[in-house]
Amino acid sequence: MEVRHIPYLLLLPAIAYLLFFIGYPLIQALYLAFTKNGAFSLETVRRATSDPTFWQALKYTISLAIAIVPIQLILALILALAVNRAFKGKDFTIYALIIPLTISDVAAGLIWYTMLSDYGFMNKLLLNLGLISQPIHFFGYEYRTMEFLAIVIAEVWRATAIVFVIILAGLQMISREYLEAAEVFGAGYWTRLRKIVIPMLKPSIQSALIIRTLFAMQVFGIVWILAGRDIPVLAGEGFYQLMEIKDYGVASIYALTIALLSIILGALYVKFLKAEYLEVRT
Amino acid sequence: MRKAVGILAALLLAVAVFASGCIGGGGPTKIVWASTQLNPPEERAFVLNELIPPFKDEAGIDVEFVPISYSDLATRLEGEEQSGKVTIDVVADLHGGLDYFNAKGWLTDLSDKVKTLQGRTFIESYMNYATDKNGKVFYVPWMSATYVMVVNKEAFKYLPSGLTEQDVIQGTEKWTYDALLAWVKNIYEKTGKKAFGLPAGPKGLLHRFIHGYLYPSFTGYEAKKFDSSEAIDMWNYFKELWKYTNPASTTWDAMADPLLQGEVLIAWDHTARIKNAIVTKPDQFVVVPVPRGPEGRGFIVVLAGLAIPKNAPHPDEAWKLIDYLTKPETQVKVLEKVGFFPTVKEAANAVPEGPLKILVEGVTAQSSTKDALIVMIPNLGEKGGEFSGLYREAFKRIVLQGEDPQKVLGELGPKLHNLFKEKGIPEP
Repeated sequence: MEVRHIPYLLLLPAIAYLLFFIGYPLIQALYLAFTKNGAFSLETVRRATSDPTFWQALKYTISLAIAIVPIQLILALILALAVNRAFKGKDFTIYALIIPLTISDVAAGLIWYTMLSDYGFMNKLLLNLGLISQPIHFFGYEYRTMEFLAIVIAEVWRATAIVFVIILAGLQMISREYLEAAEVFGAGYWTRLRKIVIPMLKPSIQSALIIRTLFAMQVFGIVWILAGRDIPVLAGEGFYQLMEIKDYGVASIYALTIALLSIILGALYVKFLKAEYLEVRT
Repeated sequence: MRKAVGILAALLLAVAVFASGCIGGGGPTKIVWASTQLNPPEERAFVLNELIPPFKDEAGIDVEFVPISYSDLATRLEGEEQSGKVTIDVVADLHGGLDYFNAKGWLTDLSDKVKTLQGRTFIESYMNYATDKNGKVFYVPWMSATYVMVVNKEAFKYLPSGLTEQDVIQGTEKWTYDALLAWVKNIYEKTGKKAFGLPAGPKGLLHRFIHGYLYPSFTGYEAKKFDSSEAIDMWNYFKELWKYTNPASTTWDAMADPLLQGEVLIAWDHTARIKNAIVTKPDQFVVVPVPRGPEGRGFIVVLAGLAIPKNAPHPDEAWKLIDYLTKPETQVKVLEKVGFFPTVKEAANAVPEGPLKILVEGVTAQSSTKDALIVMIPNLGEKGGEFSGLYREAFKRIVLQGEDPQKVLGELGPKLHNLFKEKGIPEP
């Protein structure tokens, strides 16, 4: 066998896997979404997009991502910088920070639902402290803003850890020599952060952003628990159409919308956040 | 040496073949029981470990339990009946499905056999459903379920004038939807609490409350008068009721937890979904009939029955299984373990004191109210989701978003009537 064929052979299992588990379902979804009685038809697309819920789901999915991802990034950066130095109890702090990562989104949703409900921990605490006289309502169609807030709180609590881990790993890869050299030349903390740490963290930030934003497009469990369908999101509506209404065509449109959004966002990140290494630049 | 081993192996094989033939021939008959009910894993475990073994010991008949979906069952039964090669002995399904199978002529007449069943009285209305217009009994009523109201005893302190605790518990004339509104309004004014609760979350059964309770009580029909003027009155009533309904209802799928947490004092839900509240705090709750509306007291009964397909391979053994499953003691066991209600009166009386008794009393009180207007969930097959979806959409637009009921019903009405037209089913 010729040597130049070997790489292709080695790729074969992966390609077979992708074809079977991603290619086939994708074709199936396209078929369900764009055909009627075996012929090409846009009827399903029209049925899905004529429902105002579709546009609300799109709007809420994107606004949740816009609200959650930047908070997570900034919070994770602050936390990572805080623990990236030697102090007593450092390991313990890191473990404590990543505990929420081990909890499933549904469980996290349930925890926050119980905490924020009318007779939950938060309201009881505020009532007992005399700060409020009536419980603050977080849940219900009339309180969608509060539900939105509850989702943001729960998501930040649950999923900041993954961004934190990625950024911490990136921080630890930055050689101390750069920082020491900068210090010798009189660069203060902010200058070092701006000129060295952040640029060198770019690859980590990029990975973290891609992962978080793509996950945000699929956000489902937490929203479902905290707000039901008061706040529709794409994944939730897809599930609802599939399981309750049994409209497989419309469910596929939701799934394809998530896929399309993910591809576009992924491409944008790769294009505009090109990873730069100081070594390459100099 | 090698030869000896070979001969030994051949001999062993021959003995094994012979022995298996003997065992197969002389063993118990095995019958096939295809069921669309009791399919979730824990219910299936109950069937396999607790329901079938005593029958096998007693009657010497082995049962193969085949959990199956309605559409698969319909396809399989159709294929078997048409080819004449039937393998299913007993079919368990909901009323709607069995009614369809009977209309297709796939079920045996059980009229004579039902009379031979000893020591059990079937609830009359259930037996009526099981009998077709030619007087043929095409299934034996097996299990039932319904949706009821649960009241936290605390709420009785705030009864509006003219309504007594007994009215509510027995479901008298005075226990109306207007009385319910006056009651929850009173609680709100005295305590500031929105005490009524509905399972209006995405997996909650709110659509059943609308099409099976409010609609028949206000219009006399589930779907026929969907966009009538009576329906508009009903929706205006619902909007009023929603003012005193806990707003978090839109996030609740089942009412047991909100009841236990004290977030609501009065709730409506499926019996299986409130069971946990009653079992946890039996002293705190009572199960009561639903209120009545201008047209009567509409409520849904989910009825499951057992039937024998035509040309079933073992009809006598199949009948023995049906006999066993409808015995009062078997029905009490089913109620205790999986929460489906008995279809024979003797079983209802045999339930021991405790939480289940509270449930059974409420359900029995509801089904024996004089103005009872029993409705069944229409059997729309794969369109069932769309049917429920339309009622939910009406709720969302009229009650939550405050749109004009006339406009919304005018838009959704034709879609609903079309569903029945497409399926060729008369509108209930």
